[in-house]
Amino acid sequence: MEDCLAKKMEITVSEAEKRTGRNAMNMQETYTAYLIETRAVETQSEGQCAPVDSLWRRYSEFELLRNYLSVTYPHIVVPPLPEKRADFVWHKLSADNMDPDFVERRRIGLENFLLRVASHPVLCQDKIFYSFLTQEAGWKEMVNETGFQLKADSRLKALNATFRVKNPDKRFTELKHYSDELQSVISHLLRVRARVADRLYGVYKVHGNYGRVFSEWSAIEKEMGDGLQSAGHHMDVYAASIDDILEEEEHYADQLKEYLFYAEALRAVCRKHELMQYDLEMAAQDLTTKKQQCEELATGTVRTFSLKGMTSKLFGQETPEQREAKIKVLEEQIQEGEEQLKSKNLEGRDFVKSAWADIERFKEQKNHDLKEALISYAVMQISMCKKGIQVWTNAKECFSKM
Amino acid sequence: AGGPKPLPSSGPKSLREMPHPLATTSSEEMGPALTPSPDLLLPRSIADKDLSLPNGTPVDTSSPASSSSLLNRLQLDDDFDGETRDLFVTVDDPKKHVCTMETYITYRVTTKTTRAEFDLPEYSVRRRYQDFDWLRNKLEESQPTHLIPPLPEKFVVKGVVDRFSEEFVETRRKALDKFLKRITDHPVLSFNEHFNVFLTAKDLNAYKKQGMALLSKMGESVKYVTGGYKLRSRPLEFAAIGEYLDTFSLKLGTIDRIAQRIIKEQLEYLVELREYGPVYSTWGGLEVELSEPLEGVSACIGNCCTALEELSEEMTEDFLPVLREYILYSESMKNVLKKRDQVQAEYEAKLEAVALKKEDRPKVPTDVEKCQDRVECFNADLKADMERWQNNKRQDFRQLLMGMADKNIQYYEKCLTAWESIIPLLQDKPETK
Repeated sequence: MEDCLAKKMEITVSEAEKRTGRNAMNMQETYTAYLIETRAVETQSEGQCAPVDSLWRRYSEFELLRNYLSVTYPHIVVPPLPEKRADFVWHKLSADNMDPDFVERRRIGLENFLLRVASHPVLCQDKIFYSFLTQEAGWKEMVNETGFQLKADSRLKALNATFRVKNPDKRFTELKHYSDELQSVISHLLRVRARVADRLYGVYKVHGNYGRVFSEWSAIEKEMGDGLQSAGHHMDVYAASIDDILEEEEHYADQLKEYLFYAEALRAVCRKHELMQYDLEMAAQDLTTKKQQCEELATGTVRTFSLKGMTSKLFGQETPEQREAKIKVLEEQIQEGEEQLKSKNLEGRDFVKSAWADIERFKEQKNHDLKEALISYAVMQISMCKKGIQVWTNAKECFSKM
Repeated sequence: AGGPKPLPSSGPKSLREMPHPLATTSSEEMGPALTPSPDLLLPRSIADKDLSLPNGTPVDTSSPASSSSLLNRLQLDDDFDGETRDLFVTVDDPKKHVCTMETYITYRVTTKTTRAEFDLPEYSVRRRYQDFDWLRNKLEESQPTHLIPPLPEKFVVKGVVDRFSEEFVETRRKALDKFLKRITDHPVLSFNEHFNVFLTAKDLNAYKKQGMALLSKMGESVKYVTGGYKLRSRPLEFAAIGEYLDTFSLKLGTIDRIAQRIIKEQLEYLVELREYGPVYSTWGGLEVELSEPLEGVSACIGNCCTALEELSEEMTEDFLPVLREYILYSESMKNVLKKRDQVQAEYEAKLEAVALKKEDRPKVPTDVEKCQDRVECFNADLKADMERWQNNKRQDFRQLLMGMADKNIQYYEKCLTAWESIIPLLQDKPETK
């Protein structure tokens, strides 16, 4: 990997703080601000560490940054932000944005986002991104001054293109399919996982009741009493252990969520391609029509129906001078159109090339990350099983002393 | 709650205080070798008397270990039992019988013994639940001063439970086996005549009919409890036993409900898991490099599902029935306690009636004496059976709860194996394939 920012600079989102302020409509609002700390990485170990710079950012500023990056680099699969609102929650988790656990997981997600951007060979070089990390004041204005909002494609235009494009690159069509399916399957997975977590919670917690009843029972027993009592304690331990287990699993869920949102980023690149391709097709179509018109005017034959043709038939034909003028205009337009088409073609080919390069990079990253996620999930399950064996073995020993 | 209260009693001395039964050559010769204590003298005098129950049925005193005998009083521990056991009974081999009138299951009851009371050393007969029920009723009638082990529930709601399913039949078989083994282990009940016939008779129905005929000839109800007498003061130890049983069955009921709830939650968890696993497989279908790892995870979750299903089944089949058995046991024991109260109340009432007469009689009338004997006999039997029951209960629950822990350990071990086995699959790099 080339020298990306992540190698030169340490980036962390170290803290989260509740703030109150006034919003655009001068109404009081509560929001969370996140502390971004940066520090230059020392290449030589020369004793002193570089000083830490820090600034505060809120979620909406992260959103602004990402929107800017998506519009400015449409051929890049831009890393996604952690979810805005808590989704796929199982009952014990709060859906409240102010909930400390949610805030904490979001802090980690935002740090992850910054690291992803900082380690991207193209994105890390962006100046707006660098300023986001280092310049607290005036950053918003700086972003808006780039005028990126104007470059953004309208959603409607993109949808139109999706339906009408005739010859998109096959690879992009397949990729679009894949990202739709990926979104669908990961959503399903996250939903069922939340239900599984709910049920598992129930199983563990009910065991806590054994603790109480064993204790009550031990009171009326002579020899059995001690064994029952201590076994009951282990049942309490068992019931309590599920909280940590499920909290750890949330990190796994977050890893899956990142790729759920990445699917959307993939989709965005495909959409851009469709748009460009549609644009190209329209331009080519337009050029063809103009060429035909030109030919018709020049040869006097009407091959295609046109309103002009009809009206001229009904109301009389044009003078040769008028015709000449029209041909001249068309020829100019055709020339312009051909140049435009050329550049659009070039643009399109460049886009496909660079997009596909980033997609390959993304695929490798995805395979690596998801494998790691699955491994860590398996490790979590192994740990849970070992804890279970431990507790029940302890309980068994207590029972054996009854 | 404070520490467990010891049962106050003036009953038999602890095992340590008595000379070891094996110090003599045989159990029959225990008498002179042992240090007689005032308590120990009493049963021997009773054994000499002609004991009969209020309803006229003679008490079985033919065995060397007759009611309230010394053997009963001595707490025989397991090892001792194992060395001298001379009767072994097993229930197995359930078979379905389809007849025109009904369909039912019979079980094979096998007996191996060296006891003189049996003509042959081995027997093998077939018995159905009805026959066990009959046996239990007969034992209750003929040994009312003893605690008779419970049977599994008689009635099952048709349609809810399949009476002929493998699981149901196996659960019942185990309970019936336990029932007979408990009787076999009992120094008095195992010598009961009806028990002998149950184990040996080719045609049990004929014997049953004989018994019924006799009963109808006597024309008396089999009810032991005469009723109508109010107990003035229950001895401390029996009050304690009653309280203990009340709390005990209450706690067992709670444990039963908790266990059922756990099974229910586990099954609901299983439902979700069964949907969860396949989603990984679907995802694997979309991927290239991740295809095998995702399939691996899917299969792994499937294995955990199987393990969980096994755990829930085992808890349902092995754990819950034993709990319920003990709840039934407690109920029947409380009934015996009530009967004991009645016998004592009757004695006290008669004694009072005599005292009120204020006649100058040198000795107490025989029927009052008989009542006194009955009370003391009952008390001694019950105390002895209670101690035996407590010991067995401790062992049974020790085994039951260790079994529960074991099942859970095995479940986690199965899951552990599944997850550990896919780690290398997940870590596998495509180049190494």
